[in-house]
Amino acid sequence: MVSENIEEYLECIWELTQDGTPARTTDIAKKMKVSPASVTEMMQRLDSLGYIVYEKYKGVTLTDSGNKIGETIKRKHRLLERFLVDVLGIANDKSHEEACRLEHMLSDESERRISKMMNNPTTCPDGDPIPALDQLCLNKDEDSSVLSELSEGDEGIISHLSCDDPQKIRRVIAMGFVPERCITVEEKLPLGGPVLVQVGDCRVALAKEYSDLVFVNTRRHCQKRHRHGGK
Amino acid sequence: MEVLLIGNPNVGKSVVFNRLTGVGAISSNYSGTTVDFLKADMLVHGKKMTFIDLPGIYSLTNGTEDQMVAAKMLHSASPDCVLVIADATRLEPSLVLIFQLIELGYPILVAMNMMDTARKRGELDVAKLSKILDVPIVPTVAVTGEGMEELLKALDTCAARRSNFKVSYDSHIEAYLEVMKLSIAKAEVKYPARGASIKLLEGDEEFTEGVPKDLPIQVRKLREEFRKEHDEDLEVHVNRDRYGEAGRIISEVSRPNVQPRTRGQKLSDLTMRPRTGIPILLAVLAGVLMTIIFLGSWLEGTLLSLYSDLVGTFFTDLADSIGGELGQALASGLDLSIQAILAIVIPYILLFYLILALLEDSGYLPRVVVLLDGVMHKIGLHGQAIIPMLVGMGCSVPAILATRVIESRRERLILGTIIVMAIPCSAQMAVIIGTVGNYGGIVYVLAILAILLGLVLILGRLLHKAIKFEPTSLMIEIPDLSVPRGNNILRKTWVRIKEFFVIAFPILLIGSIALELLNAYGILDQLVEPLAFFTEGWLGLPAIIIIALIFGVLRKEMSYQLLIVLFGTANLATVMTVEQLFVFALVMATFMPCMSAFAVMLKEYGLKDTLLMAASSIVLAFTLGGLANFLFQVF
Repeated sequence: MVSENIEEYLECIWELTQDGTPARTTDIAKKMKVSPASVTEMMQRLDSLGYIVYEKYKGVTLTDSGNKIGETIKRKHRLLERFLVDVLGIANDKSHEEACRLEHMLSDESERRISKMMNNPTTCPDGDPIPALDQLCLNKDEDSSVLSELSEGDEGIISHLSCDDPQKIRRVIAMGFVPERCITVEEKLPLGGPVLVQVGDCRVALAKEYSDLVFVNTRRHCQKRHRHGGK
Repeated sequence: MEVLLIGNPNVGKSVVFNRLTGVGAISSNYSGTTVDFLKADMLVHGKKMTFIDLPGIYSLTNGTEDQMVAAKMLHSASPDCVLVIADATRLEPSLVLIFQLIELGYPILVAMNMMDTARKRGELDVAKLSKILDVPIVPTVAVTGEGMEELLKALDTCAARRSNFKVSYDSHIEAYLEVMKLSIAKAEVKYPARGASIKLLEGDEEFTEGVPKDLPIQVRKLREEFRKEHDEDLEVHVNRDRYGEAGRIISEVSRPNVQPRTRGQKLSDLTMRPRTGIPILLAVLAGVLMTIIFLGSWLEGTLLSLYSDLVGTFFTDLADSIGGELGQALASGLDLSIQAILAIVIPYILLFYLILALLEDSGYLPRVVVLLDGVMHKIGLHGQAIIPMLVGMGCSVPAILATRVIESRRERLILGTIIVMAIPCSAQMAVIIGTVGNYGGIVYVLAILAILLGLVLILGRLLHKAIKFEPTSLMIEIPDLSVPRGNNILRKTWVRIKEFFVIAFPILLIGSIALELLNAYGILDQLVEPLAFFTEGWLGLPAIIIIALIFGVLRKEMSYQLLIVLFGTANLATVMTVEQLFVFALVMATFMPCMSAFAVMLKEYGLKDTLLMAASSIVLAFTLGGLANFLFQVF
């Protein structure tokens, strides 16, 4: 578990690096309201933990894992601000402070539900963007593409499922869309109709809403355990 | 002894159920035919056995409402034996279901169905599979009855043993299970600790009952921890392991032959591919409609003339021999009731159900669903709504039940409304064809059908706008096309139309004798007089027609049958003009649901929505009728 303090720093660095340039330690010190010396010390620690890359005179950039934490906390912060202001009717200035405290406690599941309840808001009350929710499970396998974007005749192995919507995911699982199973795209129906696939020995038609959740690695090939002798 | 039949959709559960019990469960070649459970008591080898046929389910955790019926039934019952119907041609999903049942500690017997097709496709070592899974397996071919005797014999010993088979999960999950088992074992839980733990980890809330209070919180933490470490939801991983295990077992017990695609499979492909599938679909729909209209009215004419030749003066003799007004009423009531059955039930209703059974058993319907899904979305429904709509052309009652395959209540309401208002059931169809079709010609029939089709589109659009939330999406399994079996088609058709003979005929008989009597004593006219302003003024129909409309609420076909009784002639052209018949048919086609439909709507949608639907259908019917009358008057 990452400490609140580290989360705060990563959140701050995330915000300062959004323009694409490294964050300067003096800016971090100003934003966090601490002395530059303690920032330098903290940066060395974060570097050793693998959250950031710290180069003297150049500044601070986030590693993948640091970026993920920073973004998650910022997202929770902005979502909570929005929630406190819009739903609970708390004043703008107070909401910031409170969100700062709550952002560290909020579980991923509760965050998803709040976001869903509020129709996935995209900006916080100050107008800053709320980062898109949870990219988790989306780019897990670089060689895989989402089922809804495959073409007719494509074949591969299901690599993973998106994990945003447990209700829908369960239904997809129940129909046999499970990682490591073989899948072939047979037809794509017109007028925004469903895509027809062969998964294992079953033929299933599924709409985009569901095919968006399934990721297929088309570079891996099925072992032929097919009932049909190929097309 | 209580036996629960369970299995994936479309593996032949209902066929097995019928074979075992002789009770008429309806089976078809697509998923979701059984949306409610069926129960039958049997005496087997001197022992009383209760068989319960559940709707097909893909997984014990979450699903559509019809699948939840099965999961809930299983959850609340404590069966002596769970008879799993597995599909030998699609083993993986069947095995995954069996794994879950074993984990939950049910005593299991497996019927390995569709063995005939599986044998053609390769070898399947049932004995070895049985050994691996540690459950008895009986190979069956339900449609021919093969293996049913063995199945009954095996049921005797089913209760005695539980399988020791285990799916081994990912090491992390196994570690979680060990921890959870300890805290569950202390509590009073209905299921084995391991099975209950897995279900909890999968996030199934049905299993939280009776577990220690802090466990669900712990489970939530474990699920989040797993998600962070594996970048995958825990239930995804659990199923990845299950399918992995299933795949391994299958490669051990079967050796498939790779075969060229058969002609049937090629035809299957043609019906799916949009370029060929859509023309085929249009041809099939047109064919169905034309068969009902032309073959139906030919049958009606032939049957009626045969009947009148056969009866001769029997009924006038009967009336004379009884004597008086009563004799007259009894004889003509009986005569007209029989005529009504011959004119409506056999030609139109029986014919429609035969065609529907053919379409169902061939497995063609899911193809219609897939091809039309895009269009259906435009009116706020998904393609699966097609099946209830087609079934609704037979009768609204099973159609409304069939709306359960649709997940959202919103869509079920839209669909229910469309079925009640704009889909003519076979009785309404008979009214349309028998009245305006007979005397005015097919143009009028097509005109009414066009109006109804327009209504479907408009109603769908309007309701789509009025009821919020987006339509849910389609996900449906497509079975192979297969050649329908004659005996299943006949049996199914009989089950469906039996009630026309055993329920509708007596009501009609009594109703027509009563009406004949009232008519004979001149009471009828006094009853209908006060409403004449409406029937004559607004609809432009004879005042007496109100009786037919009222009886139409009881049963739709009776409105037509009563016209014959009320006017005392089977030749309606002598008493009504074609325009009047058109208005009458149009009103009947959209008029409020019959009593049985009303009852089933009440059950499915609740009082408020049902009353609203019924009231608006009456308003709609009379508005359309009045409008048509007005247009006829003007032009």
